[in-house]
Amino acid sequence: MKSALLDGIVLGLQYGLLGVGLTLIYGLTGVLNLAHGQIAVLGAVVVSLLMGTGLPAVPAILAGLAVSGAVLLALDLSVMRVVYRQEGETRILLGLLLMLGVGFMIDGFLAWRYPIEQLGLRIGGDPISILGVRMSTGSLLASAITIVTGLVLVAFFRLTSLGRGVRSVIQDEMGARLCGVNPAFVRTFVFGLSGVLAGLVAVTRSMTGPIGANNTISFTVLALIVAVVGGLGSVSGAFLAGVLLGVVDRLSSFYIGTYITTIILLVCAALTIVAKPSGLLGRPST
Amino acid sequence: MTAVDERSGRVGPSVGAARVVGQRLAPYLPILVAAALLALIPLRYRDSGSLMGVATEGMLFAAYAVAFNIIFGSTGQLFLCVGALAGVGGFASAIISDRVGLPLLVSIVLAALCSAAIGGLLSWVSVKRALDTIFIGIVTLAFSLSFQNFVLGRRDLTGGETGIFVEAGSDTLLHDRVSPYYVFLALVVGYLVLYRTLQRSRVGWAFRALRDDQLAAELSGVDVSRYRVFAGTLGSAMLGLAGALQAHSGRGFIGPSTYAFGDVDVRVLVMLAFGGIGTLLGPVIGAASLTWLDELLVDYAQLRLVLYGAVIVVLFLGFRRGIVPAITDYVRTRIRR
Repeated sequence: MKSALLDGIVLGLQYGLLGVGLTLIYGLTGVLNLAHGQIAVLGAVVVSLLMGTGLPAVPAILAGLAVSGAVLLALDLSVMRVVYRQEGETRILLGLLLMLGVGFMIDGFLAWRYPIEQLGLRIGGDPISILGVRMSTGSLLASAITIVTGLVLVAFFRLTSLGRGVRSVIQDEMGARLCGVNPAFVRTFVFGLSGVLAGLVAVTRSMTGPIGANNTISFTVLALIVAVVGGLGSVSGAFLAGVLLGVVDRLSSFYIGTYITTIILLVCAALTIVAKPSGLLGRPST
Repeated sequence: MTAVDERSGRVGPSVGAARVVGQRLAPYLPILVAAALLALIPLRYRDSGSLMGVATEGMLFAAYAVAFNIIFGSTGQLFLCVGALAGVGGFASAIISDRVGLPLLVSIVLAALCSAAIGGLLSWVSVKRALDTIFIGIVTLAFSLSFQNFVLGRRDLTGGETGIFVEAGSDTLLHDRVSPYYVFLALVVGYLVLYRTLQRSRVGWAFRALRDDQLAAELSGVDVSRYRVFAGTLGSAMLGLAGALQAHSGRGFIGPSTYAFGDVDVRVLVMLAFGGIGTLLGPVIGAASLTWLDELLVDYAQLRLVLYGAVIVVLFLGFRRGIVPAITDYVRTRIRR
């Protein structure tokens, strides 16, 4: 029970990080990035390929994160320009479908060229005992990275002027523009940031198990569930929902069974939408 | 009374009657032409069992696309659970006929009703909670993936990863080489006639009104919620019926990939987007084109997903109304000059 709970928190932190990338882009632009998991795994595959050539882990990881970020950055500067010209429902539908298409392209590319390439970062060291539960060094390191990233993100959005600029555009694009914030720059920045975060999740997940081309869709779906439950557009909501869902995930697969677990998570997302579309911590849309 | 009556008086009453019948049937003419063309396909590929299988599957997807067109094209509800609704029909019909032992026809009808109930419920909930397109998409996607996990998990009922062989229907014409094609062709023609009849009725008028401007439609007395739920229920019943027929035809085998999101929904979405959302023959043309393209690329199966993704991106960037409407518009303006 206690180990399932701790495992759930470890897993949940990763879920939260997965959701943050998706929720930021949706909150800012109304584009639901259905290629999030694909971009994450793409970064992991790059890391794995570079490490295969003999590059040390840290520069390889940095290069992988750069590739993930660059893909979303490039999308923002090209395809998404068409989306931003639309308004309301049309913009949301167009963004969703375009990202779905991009996701299939990356998915197909990975399944075609690198079907068996997998990133598995093995972190050495003996298991460490926490509250009487032995946790592997890999999952502790992954959690530490995730927690630090989360804190940095929160600090960034509260303390720096660029972070405040992002929040102001999420709240009111016209108002932000009047105060001298450039929405186009903020969008490009957030797309890049979201890509880097996606790559980071794939890297930290690979510390507890291998990540490859067959993880793409489950990553996207998890990011979607977490972002919806936390409230689309809310960073702290995504982390809260991530930890909650991680605990639910571990507990239900501990007590009930694995196939029910996914269904339970999906039902959580569906019920959240039906009961409170703005999610746990999201602002209700007007 | 009218010019038609005067002229018919001159040349005989039967011509007038024929003309009236002709006017009634004129809107259905495109369906007739399409059906006649599609009916010729087995003449060429009759000898090859595998090519007939491909053609039959193409017809099945045309049926899915027409049904999805009623839900998404007519009322803008983004149902990302086409495969799951068809799968409910397929598995329900297989289980009812094989395990419970009811006659084939009864089980197919019951299966279609199951799909209709689920689709109608999804539609009703989203209308009641006034969900945006994006949230309907997420809820139906969640249902889609839950269904897939259910199929994989409940081995005793669905056979899990290995799937199940459907016994019922193996002694009917559904298991021949050529005739299943005609069964599915008849299904598509039936769906198209239904679509056209809806289009020309009060329902179609309401669909157009609520798609153009929901608020204006509501203000002029169109019960938007009722028509949305109606479209969701009807479309889902059509998906369930097609899925159930699929379960009993061909090799009589259904598994988790038969109705998977990645295999059904993606293709149906591409077909409809290619052919033109909200058009009569668009779904059929889209299904035929994509099936043909699939067969061309059969040796490059890995590239298929890349290609689908690229088609979606290009279509929604450049031809948001679909390739077919874009071409017909172009031809029409050329002819007028």
